[in-house]
Amino acid sequence: MVDSSKVPVSGTTADTDHAERVWRAGRLDPMPIRKLPDAPPAIHLLGPTVFLVALGVGMGESYMWPRLVLVFGPEIRWLFLIGVTLQAVVMLEMARYAMATGESIFTGAARVFKPLMWFFFAVAILVYIWPGHLSAGAAAFEEITGIPWVVTACVGLVLVGVVFSLAKVIYSLLENVLSLLIGVLVVGTAVIASLVGSWSDLSSTITGMFAFGYFPSDAMSSAWFPIVVGSIAFAGPSGMQQMWYTLHLRDSGAGMGAHVPKIRGLRHASEQEEMPNRGFMFDTDDPAEMKKWKGWRRWVTFDALLLFWGITMLVTISFTVLAQAAARENPNVATLIEGGDRDAALGAMSDAFASAGGSILGGLFFGFIALIGLNATLGLFDSFSRGQADMTYFFVKGAKRFKISHLYAFFLWGVILFGILILLFGPADGPSGVLDILAFLSTFAMGAYCVVLLLVNNRMLPKPIRPKWWANLIIGFGAVFYLGMLFYSLIRFGVVVS
Amino acid sequence: MEKTRLLRLVELAFPGFVVGLIAGAVAGGLAGFVGQPAGWALVSMLTLGIPLGLFGAGFGLLVAFRKVRLGGFAPVALFWLAGFPISRLLHEVGTFWILGGEPRLPPDLLGFIAYQGIVSAGFAIGFLWLHERIAPRWWRRMAPHNPEAARIYAAYAEHAKQIYDMRQARRASRAAARAKAAQR
Repeated sequence: MVDSSKVPVSGTTADTDHAERVWRAGRLDPMPIRKLPDAPPAIHLLGPTVFLVALGVGMGESYMWPRLVLVFGPEIRWLFLIGVTLQAVVMLEMARYAMATGESIFTGAARVFKPLMWFFFAVAILVYIWPGHLSAGAAAFEEITGIPWVVTACVGLVLVGVVFSLAKVIYSLLENVLSLLIGVLVVGTAVIASLVGSWSDLSSTITGMFAFGYFPSDAMSSAWFPIVVGSIAFAGPSGMQQMWYTLHLRDSGAGMGAHVPKIRGLRHASEQEEMPNRGFMFDTDDPAEMKKWKGWRRWVTFDALLLFWGITMLVTISFTVLAQAAARENPNVATLIEGGDRDAALGAMSDAFASAGGSILGGLFFGFIALIGLNATLGLFDSFSRGQADMTYFFVKGAKRFKISHLYAFFLWGVILFGILILLFGPADGPSGVLDILAFLSTFAMGAYCVVLLLVNNRMLPKPIRPKWWANLIIGFGAVFYLGMLFYSLIRFGVVVS
Repeated sequence: MEKTRLLRLVELAFPGFVVGLIAGAVAGGLAGFVGQPAGWALVSMLTLGIPLGLFGAGFGLLVAFRKVRLGGFAPVALFWLAGFPISRLLHEVGTFWILGGEPRLPPDLLGFIAYQGIVSAGFAIGFLWLHERIAPRWWRRMAPHNPEAARIYAAYAEHAKQIYDMRQARRASRAAARAKAAQR
């Protein structure tokens, strides 16, 4: 571990022949001091949170939490409130490092202790290489169109690869596409919830969020506890999605990310600018710079609160209202949802809406599940490739012979080809023998990144921009919460989260 | 003269109308996709899509004439707090009227309105999100022959220029850093 107590005060070190001012953090190259750009003047410029929303609003929101509400009642939702609020704070702290340095959190981890970064490199490959996440969306598409889901999934994979390879700047393309899809998702979810829900569904769902401490004895059973823990971990972005968010922030040019070039698609790789070896730091002793920094913090806080927290809440509340309405319409739905067969449960929910409001609503429901799947898949493939390319480029010897666009394309097409092979010949979620290990690693990574965040933000950043005590407290709570629940489940029940 | 003025207003309101209509039409469109009777789909599409579209158009005009803050969430949330429940009420009444032969109010009217009012906040986020992405581009196309569109586009362009200047400054500082590194 580094001894950051010897880190000099920001912007005061003249340690090169040319007396360039730098900020030393850990054992990697020091960061040169540069100007912090101005924060965007208005809030309507939506930031890269769109990626977190696309990744985060997935099966947790549309299926796992509605399921828990049907089994344990709306009061169980206070745990969701805690889970999502915790993730909003994690997001703000991830953004702190990325905006202050223009580096990813992976590089931050390497500054603290390189093996930490390699741990995340390995976890990403083990957990995210399996194409199982495609199945729910593609299966919903099959319900609407009759096209077998494996065909949709394979075509979708190739399409994603081609589009990302042709794009000039991948970030801009993806932000535009995801923004439109999420806009339609949000507007559409609100309309559906308004069609099928009722005042009492909504009020019980919302008041349930404040039933702090409610924990029925059944939830402590070996059958349900791992599911409850998994659902809390999957409230909002799960696994490594928050870490990838730092890469999207950098590519969007937020804060010091403005000094780092964007990743280009394979077709435009020749135009790729050379990536600097390390990030940059601004002069935290300069009041004008600190004022700009506060502007950036306001910008990202707005993103975290309204977009990330608000939209995640909205979609989950809507889907919970939908599940309650479906269960009222058809008691069979409740049995199927409680039973845990996801496809059967989603089918039954769709049927219930069809009987309530015509098959229009049934189809609509599947349409939205497919849309959620599409958002998540687009976001996931890009994020995985971005994260692995970043770590490879900066930390694998000899990798700088390639451009970062080439490495991005290598990981993107690697995961696509592997995905197609597995969809055609293997188990989509991964070999059944390792499923538990993958679920364990995914939650473990969340506890681990909380620890990394504490180390990176408190030891690698200059004092004036380090987190406040309460932010550290919440992130520390996150680490204890994720790791504690994970190991408690493992030791008490012998089961990892599910 | 009056006709031209009306046409200009329609052009200003068009993006808001489209976003509202899309939201209502998603239901109808998907119904056609899953093989429902065209009549059913069309009724649902129109009775919800048209009121939402008209309210959306109204909001577009408020933005175009700078009666509300560009991109602000509070004004759009307040607007739809009224607009969304009314649209849904018209949808319920209209659908019963056309398909059932006589208009009918929802059973618990107050509860219905209150519920729709709360859902409207979610709708407002999605509406603002889409409108902010579509409207400025459309107004830019209309700007050459529509002075109001040109004015509102100029407001957005002014904002974009600030962003562009920021980017230019970043590029310049990157180039300067590279030049400095090359000198060493």
